[in-house]
Amino acid sequence: MQNLNIDSIKKRSFDAIVIGSGISGGWSAKELTGKGLKTLLLERGPNVEHIKDYPTTNMNPWEFKHGGQITKEMRDANPVASRCYAFNETSAHFFVKDAEHPYIQEKPFDWIRGYQVGGKSLMWARGTQRWSQYDFDGPARDGFAVEWPITYAELAPWYSYVEIFAGISGNKDGLAQLPDGEFLPPHEQSCVEKHFTDVMAKKYNGARPIIIGRCAHLTQPQPIHLQQGRGKCQHRNICERGCPFGGYFSSNSSTIPWARQTGKLTLQPDSVVHSIIFDEKKNKATGVRVVDANTKQMTEYYAKIIFVNAATINTNLILLNSKSTRFPNGLGNDNGLLGKYIAFHNFRTTMSAEYEGMLDSTTAGSRPNGSYIPRFRNVFKQETDFLRGYAAGFSASRMTYNDTSGIGEDLKTSLSNRKFGNWRVGSHMMGETIPKESNYVALDDKQTDAWGVPLLKVSVAYDDNDEKMIKDFHEQLTEMYTAAGFTNIRTHDNPNKAPGLDIHEMGGVRMGKDPKTSLLNKWNQLHACKNVFVTDGACMTSNSTQNPSLTFMAITARAANNAVEELKKRNL
Amino acid sequence: MKRRAAMKSLGVALGGLVALPAWANSWTPDSIGNSTLLALNDEILLAEIVETFIPETNTPGAKSLKVQQFVQRMIQDCYDDTAKNTFKQGLLKTEELALKANNKPFVQCDAKQRTDLLLQMSNDAATKPFIGLVKNLTIRGYTNSEYYLVNIAKYNMVPGFYKGCVPVG
Repeated sequence: MQNLNIDSIKKRSFDAIVIGSGISGGWSAKELTGKGLKTLLLERGPNVEHIKDYPTTNMNPWEFKHGGQITKEMRDANPVASRCYAFNETSAHFFVKDAEHPYIQEKPFDWIRGYQVGGKSLMWARGTQRWSQYDFDGPARDGFAVEWPITYAELAPWYSYVEIFAGISGNKDGLAQLPDGEFLPPHEQSCVEKHFTDVMAKKYNGARPIIIGRCAHLTQPQPIHLQQGRGKCQHRNICERGCPFGGYFSSNSSTIPWARQTGKLTLQPDSVVHSIIFDEKKNKATGVRVVDANTKQMTEYYAKIIFVNAATINTNLILLNSKSTRFPNGLGNDNGLLGKYIAFHNFRTTMSAEYEGMLDSTTAGSRPNGSYIPRFRNVFKQETDFLRGYAAGFSASRMTYNDTSGIGEDLKTSLSNRKFGNWRVGSHMMGETIPKESNYVALDDKQTDAWGVPLLKVSVAYDDNDEKMIKDFHEQLTEMYTAAGFTNIRTHDNPNKAPGLDIHEMGGVRMGKDPKTSLLNKWNQLHACKNVFVTDGACMTSNSTQNPSLTFMAITARAANNAVEELKKRNL
Repeated sequence: MKRRAAMKSLGVALGGLVALPAWANSWTPDSIGNSTLLALNDEILLAEIVETFIPETNTPGAKSLKVQQFVQRMIQDCYDDTAKNTFKQGLLKTEELALKANNKPFVQCDAKQRTDLLLQMSNDAATKPFIGLVKNLTIRGYTNSEYYLVNIAKYNMVPGFYKGCVPVG
């Protein structure tokens, strides 16, 4: 019996455990297995294997029972998930259903989750811009949160490293606030997007550049992508169903199969991590407690190092729930700051307008991308009455419509004759929000979920800084749109739209220089438990205005590399 | 070699694709199945109403494309009770008005009588919501049918390209 037990423990022992298989977890698994570590990759949801488990990816549009629309029953049952732009009849199977995974909204927060192998990397919007030194300088310069322990220069080689493997399309624009990367050919701007770019260049003397978006699409696959079994983006624009070509980056098409090829990966779906085991004698973490999603049975798994990549809020949850005599308030939480300083991106407002010029032109094909207005407010110095700034999307395409006024043969004829209207232009704001102690997540004292894990309470809200920024966005974009000759300019703000739908929540386990004011050091190790690493959005000290996923990838690759070096030096 | 292997696996995936775009959310009579919303005689009535909006010419009309099934499925699964009520009451009203105007049920009226009746109903505040609901869903069902998308819209699920500026036409 004793031998059996030893065998069982041996079977459950690895060099490394990675919690979560989304964008950052996939990179952890790839890097750690690539450096020879026997790695257990845990995912709380079911397996999703590239191509095979994309049930709707090749479905013809008419094969959907409700024309792609969510039924009333589904919408009523999922008020949170159904507010997400990508949640529809073709993709709903990749989204967490509200009733199955409850949480407590102390303040309204739309928590959008994807519990399956690959996580949200299957349904993300794929914007991938580098952050600049102006983003990493933010807290120290403007006096909020806490100073970042890393610089852009330290991260730059790791950005290059992940960009080359993931495949990022973009144009080299030479902007200080938005560093160039290792780009595949860019998508084209539409004629009205180019017009806007040109007018803005003249009006603002280059201070407000408009560029084509940078996105994780293979516009021209390189040998490294073909080796992954991925091919060129086919411009289908139905990415949230999963792409059978591997045309965009996902854990499923890229990092996980790559990790598997090393022979070092054990991928274990349906594994809900309850907590991390801390051994007080060894003064380090020795493993994780996992609840089987189906049988609800708990099993322990052991490893020398643990990477927590459960996605920001769940990473906070797992650490908060990892209680021991040494850490009664959660693993590494000596300063009581774990779960605090959560921030997000302000996506609350949009603009729309029309352009009555260039009516002899239109676009053709489709583009899984748009143009992009990099942050132009408070970049080089403070110039407004709010801190930080916003980036924005910008896109222009030709409106088409059918005359539906008639009845009978008239109607039928007009339905066969699509007409061109004006160009339709629009922008969505992507504002940096300031991490604050009052924006936090915490465990509920009493209620637990179906797996015995305490329910999470979320208390995150907009503040005055966000309101001022929204006002400025409306004013500046209106000025810019007007200068470009756009008409019918409208602002669309909904103050009741809760944070969360941006799906860019970050923080709670922030990096910093001082263990008194941060949870993680510059190598993403918990200050107080050095063999536990957090490299997903939870580690972010501040938020920038750029999409964060590429930065999660770069930070993860950098931290994994360092972790393996430290392991070799027997420091862990 | 690796490249060839990769391209080969892509070829397999390509074979399964048909040329239609994402946004052209569509349906077929098979995909939507039978609805339990209406009794058979009401379904026959609805078929004649959608056919009046989009009639058979030298190309299929709404009835032969079974747009009436799509309309029912959408109202049953995607709409609230107010809309469901508007829909059911509207069908009754259509029948009542047909009898009143032409002394025969709607399905026995000729094309002109049907058209006149629906036009009249679309101008009456009481029946306008019903006409709007059914007309919109008829248009949606027709323009998102396999027939329309393949033969008229000629949409392509896999364009494989994007051009930012091309001449209209």
